[in-house]
Amino acid sequence: MAITEEPPLELTTGSAPAIADRPLGVLTRPQGSVGWRSWLFTVDHKRIGIMYGAAALVFFVIGGIEALFIRLQLAQPNGTVLGADLYNQVFTMHGVTMIFLVAMPLGAAFANYLIPIQIGARDVAFPRLNAFSFWCFLGGAIFINTSWVLGGAPDGGWFAYAPNTGVLFSPTNGLDFFAIGLQITGIASLVSAINLIVTVVNLRAPGMTWFKMPVFTWMMLVVQVLLLFAIPVITVALVLLIFDRLYDANFFNVAEGADPLLWEHLFWIFGHPEVYILILPAFGVISEIIPVFSRKPIFGYPFMVFSGIAIGFMGWGVWAHHMFASGIGPISVAAFSISTMFIAVPTGVKILNWLATMYGGRLRFTTPMLFAVGVVSMFTIGGLSGVTHAVSPADTQQTDTYYIVAHFHYVIFGGVILGLFGGMYFWWPKVFGHMLNEKWGKLNFWTMLIGFNLTFGPMHLLGLQGMSRRIQTYSSGQGFDFWNLVSTIGSFVIALSVLIFVMNIWLSKRNAPNLPPPGPDPWDGRSLEWSTASPTPEHNFDYVPDIESLDDFWHRKWGEDENGRIVRLASAAEIAQDGSRTGVHLPSPSYWPIVAATGLPLIGYGLIFNLWLSALGGAVLLGAIYGWIMEPADDPDAGHGHGDEHDDEHGDDGPDDEAPAAETEEVAPVG
Amino acid sequence: MSAARRRPGWARLGILVAALALLATACGDKPLDTMDPAGPEAQSIKDLIVPIFIIAGIVFVLVQGAVIALWWKFRVDEPEDPADERPGTYADDEFPDQVHGNLNLEIAWTIIPTVLLAVISVFTLITLFDLDGVDAADDDLRITVVGQQWWWEFQYHLDGNTDTPPDFVTANEMVIPVDQQVPLLITSRDVIHSFWIPRLNGKQDAVPGSEFEWVVEASEIGDFAGQCTEFCGLSHGYMRMFTNAVEPAEFEAWAAEQVQSAPLLDEADEGFEGQQVFLANCASCHIITGVTSHVDADGDNLADVDTWDVYDGANKIVDPAILTAGVAPNLTHLMSRNTYAGSFFDLYDDDGNVNRAELEEWVFNAPEQKPNNPENRQGMTSFVGVLTAEQLDDVVDYLETLE
Repeated sequence: MAITEEPPLELTTGSAPAIADRPLGVLTRPQGSVGWRSWLFTVDHKRIGIMYGAAALVFFVIGGIEALFIRLQLAQPNGTVLGADLYNQVFTMHGVTMIFLVAMPLGAAFANYLIPIQIGARDVAFPRLNAFSFWCFLGGAIFINTSWVLGGAPDGGWFAYAPNTGVLFSPTNGLDFFAIGLQITGIASLVSAINLIVTVVNLRAPGMTWFKMPVFTWMMLVVQVLLLFAIPVITVALVLLIFDRLYDANFFNVAEGADPLLWEHLFWIFGHPEVYILILPAFGVISEIIPVFSRKPIFGYPFMVFSGIAIGFMGWGVWAHHMFASGIGPISVAAFSISTMFIAVPTGVKILNWLATMYGGRLRFTTPMLFAVGVVSMFTIGGLSGVTHAVSPADTQQTDTYYIVAHFHYVIFGGVILGLFGGMYFWWPKVFGHMLNEKWGKLNFWTMLIGFNLTFGPMHLLGLQGMSRRIQTYSSGQGFDFWNLVSTIGSFVIALSVLIFVMNIWLSKRNAPNLPPPGPDPWDGRSLEWSTASPTPEHNFDYVPDIESLDDFWHRKWGEDENGRIVRLASAAEIAQDGSRTGVHLPSPSYWPIVAATGLPLIGYGLIFNLWLSALGGAVLLGAIYGWIMEPADDPDAGHGHGDEHDDEHGDDGPDDEAPAAETEEVAPVG
Repeated sequence: MSAARRRPGWARLGILVAALALLATACGDKPLDTMDPAGPEAQSIKDLIVPIFIIAGIVFVLVQGAVIALWWKFRVDEPEDPADERPGTYADDEFPDQVHGNLNLEIAWTIIPTVLLAVISVFTLITLFDLDGVDAADDDLRITVVGQQWWWEFQYHLDGNTDTPPDFVTANEMVIPVDQQVPLLITSRDVIHSFWIPRLNGKQDAVPGSEFEWVVEASEIGDFAGQCTEFCGLSHGYMRMFTNAVEPAEFEAWAAEQVQSAPLLDEADEGFEGQQVFLANCASCHIITGVTSHVDADGDNLADVDTWDVYDGANKIVDPAILTAGVAPNLTHLMSRNTYAGSFFDLYDDDGNVNRAELEEWVFNAPEQKPNNPENRQGMTSFVGVLTAEQLDDVVDYLETLE
């Protein structure tokens, strides 16, 4: 990493030099850590993580409302809540929203916030790029959703099979919004993936070798590698679709000899790793929660890591199990059938290791633990129904029925959503400096669990009874009435549960001043993030810790006496850093990430409506890139202590015994 | 409130739910039930999956049982007064054995599922290759199945030769002889559809530009419902079909009837007015063999064509505009069917009388009856303001003669 090693300008602490010939477009970098500007221009991974989470929760509510409309429409036969056209738009947007605008960014929220503080870094490797990723995501997400008021939302399903997505069959602009919007959020994911991979590879604290990394960071690393290779595939597919739709290309035009299965292959080569992109963060989260509330280390750490990596690899070899009815031929079906069977093995290993972690432990069923155990239990159901899809002859009966809908909701809701909710309860005190209320939290969990099973459990039966997916309505003679009604009731229980969660956020914040602060380590945590103050100070750590073992922080609190009994060495309060250090060199905020990201949706609107708008968007983007490049790598006006020689950026050079001494020199007045 | 007092309430609720569930499952038809096979293909799929469901059920019980057992045995109750301690905090001496892992266990629970899945794979592959391919002789009945937005066309090749024009073409309801494997060639003229008669076999996508082989066979007489299962646009949910299995003799009689053209009426004949209304308004999309002619894209009048000619050999698409203008269902023997409009409406009531009012409404204003998008040439157009009441009456009279 030789990118920002040299201070760009010769500076002396505290005095701003006069830059006589500042190049055109070079602005002073924004300052300040309060107010809305501090959020718009922030490059702090923690604020970006919080914004990812907040945006994801807003879209979770939007996607949830879409789901409720679907359930209302299907509550009874011959439903009239949504017309066929609107229904198709609503279920398409429900899928697009929940996958791309909720599950992915919520995972990104955890990754952004936690990876740096789990590996003892000051920030991610490329802080401005990180901000750019977030604003790209938000821009793309808003862009897709504006289709509702600009002529209609996409109506081809999230899987958007060609040629039904051609202009001939879907003449509104909805699918243009889909294809361009997902390119924009794709840029966000790709940039973020590179950023986080570089971060994990290069910025680990001294002594934190690969196999001393927390399981969460490991799983997130696997996710970023999956994204790095999966996003280009969907990008290719979407570019082809865009060219077909906007410029009359013939990639999917059957009349000109195209084979529509091209889209199916491209989509699922992306789409199946995407499933693991969604679930592995949740696996990582509960691998952190379960040991803490079992008071035991994770069982079989290397197996947890390797099974995650194995899932990541094998995830590339199973895509065509989405296509068992597509006519790919029995040999292909056989091959993908077998590969799909065996991807269940590493997943099973994970489930059993979580159970073994709990075995013999002292289990405290706090809210995070309830959610984590909920994942173990509910994801297993999704995993088992997944194996039944691998049985390809049976899958020709199951595919595109509600049995599949049941399956992937057990995986995505029962796995991802429950897991990440658990994560929010677990890390809330670290992020916001106060706990979420446990009583409301437990109510949140139980209503969610009951609502979830009421909603999606019956769908197994509906699917086996022959109810197809994506049908706008059904007739009363088809035997679907009862379970659909149950499912609709269940969906409103989930809505209630989400309402409880939102209320809990609000009430907990309001009551926080009346309660003792949670301190740095409210749960007797194991990994590094608990060794710094709550909420995490802007500079993360007063000094970068030296890592000696897996769960290093825990081993500083607890040791063994001569009889092998565990005894306290220190309390968290004694050894945790208080975050009081000042003058730590941090990257300054920047105007350019958000400006650059604004250019992309403008280009998108232009492609759809008027190319002049694209020109404007392109100008904004290019201007922002120019400003970004020319921007001083640090703000001379901010008066950061430039006497420091960036000790902490060398954190991966190995154990550095002199670090604490260097740290004291670094304390410098801050403007 | 004690746990003891709560449980009976829960139990009562559980019993109520279970009873309701049983009631719901026991009562009522399930015409699309995948677990109620009526043919050898669906049967062998069921025979394959049921033991796997049982294995999955056992694993389910074991894992959920383990979760419950772990909760039961190892949980630490929350402090009495939550104000005393924060949730999830432990006393200093409250430590279980710090087990980090166990290699033998890890190996065991890697290998056991692998072996189990390998066994399942073997049976999966056996069934997969068993179901693949066609047992019927080359000159047995074959049917080309063509999906369109939003109905199914069936082209009958009684001699099994799918390279020549079909003997006749019908729509929405595929009649087959019972106990005979009928090979299908499945394709589409517009977007991807999926042909699925759950009680007879799994589904096969209908992909434009490709023909995929599939089979159906019914081992009992009956009308077996189906539903298009690949999302195909606006009216996907309304794209249904039937496969009607009949005695072989009945099938022969039916086929002999279907091969016949409809008579071309002249002025003296009853129904002539209706025929003329049909020719003026409906014949650009609908074919009645022996009656209609087709006006092609160049305005040339092609006398007495069938879809084979329109599409330059059954399934090669020649003009993407036709893709959505489409040729609508062949109506030569409309009244021999039980349903119309993607099998969404019943042609006859329970007493065997034509649902005349409903049929008239459909002919007059189809987009009101079922999601259609005639502006984009998808689905049937509206004749509001085009047909007078008298013309409507005439044309439906005429349709009723198409036996």
